[in-house]
Amino acid sequence: MRLEKCWFCSSTIYPGHGIQFVRNDAKIFRFCRSKCHKNFKMKRNPRKVKWTKAYRRLHGKDMTQDSTFEFERRWNRPERYDRNVTEMTLKAIKKIDKIRVDREVRHHKMRMKGKKAFEQQAAIKELENSIDLVKAPVALQQAKIKVEVSRSQPEGERMEE
Amino acid sequence: MSAFLSSKLSTVGRSLIRSFGNDLSAAKAPHETMTKLSYQCLFLQQQRTFIQMRTRLKVVDNSGAKRVMCIQALKGRRGARLGDTIIASVKEAQPNGKVKKGDVVYGVVVRAAMQRSRCDGSEIRFDDNAVVLVNKQGEPIGTRIYGPVPHELRKKKHVKILTLAEHIA
Repeated sequence: MRLEKCWFCSSTIYPGHGIQFVRNDAKIFRFCRSKCHKNFKMKRNPRKVKWTKAYRRLHGKDMTQDSTFEFERRWNRPERYDRNVTEMTLKAIKKIDKIRVDREVRHHKMRMKGKKAFEQQAAIKELENSIDLVKAPVALQQAKIKVEVSRSQPEGERMEE
Repeated sequence: MSAFLSSKLSTVGRSLIRSFGNDLSAAKAPHETMTKLSYQCLFLQQQRTFIQMRTRLKVVDNSGAKRVMCIQALKGRRGARLGDTIIASVKEAQPNGKVKKGDVVYGVVVRAAMQRSRCDGSEIRFDDNAVVLVNKQGEPIGTRIYGPVPHELRKKKHVKILTLAEHIA
């Protein structure tokens, strides 16, 4: 049993799922579900289709180089069954998955850093420019007059003194 | 790849004809519009079926024949699939070959556009329909086989074909 990767979306294909397409030049394309298969038949390039891993890696949305990916290389030599080795491998797989997920979360955080500040700035600018959508211009004028009056009154008092 | 493109063009042609047919009978009952929708989704899913009488197949060995037309699928009420044997008539042959045009021969289907399930639950399909000519005992007439072949042939005891093949899918 071998877990393959879908040619289009790069997700794992578990046993019992998907279709294999063999082209006449003997190149095998594996698809995880009919969505990917149909996109392939439509001749779409996975690097241009937004939800695929190929697009995300190409555009820097997901991390590309990491030492945890080294563990997923294809191994064609059969291994003699050893119970201890199997136990260790299963434990290692869990640990490596956890590390990989943590690193991906960190990558996402780094990518989204400064987004809050950026959004805040954009909101302030928008408020300045289109305040007339929120408050009527007349109300703004009145607020200005009130401010001027209150400013001139203390000056008047000083004059009287 | 050219076979792939030509199959795509034929589906385009087929869908255009269907849409013309629908336009002619446009102002009719609502069930007509339902069939138009099903034609549109059929355009995206080209239904591949069995290899039956009058199906033309490519010959991928050097027995001399080029194109062959199925006249009977042995086993299978609806037709032959990947790995089955058929009886075929040679439609096009090379001038110096072991078979001539008009010969009735047996063949083993080595590539089928219709998907076939595997015992692990996945499915496999090829780009075109191809056949290898054999004699009554199941031994290939030619000495070379071109293109990939599936390992379903091992179960059907066509071991000689597998040994001659250049790539086993």
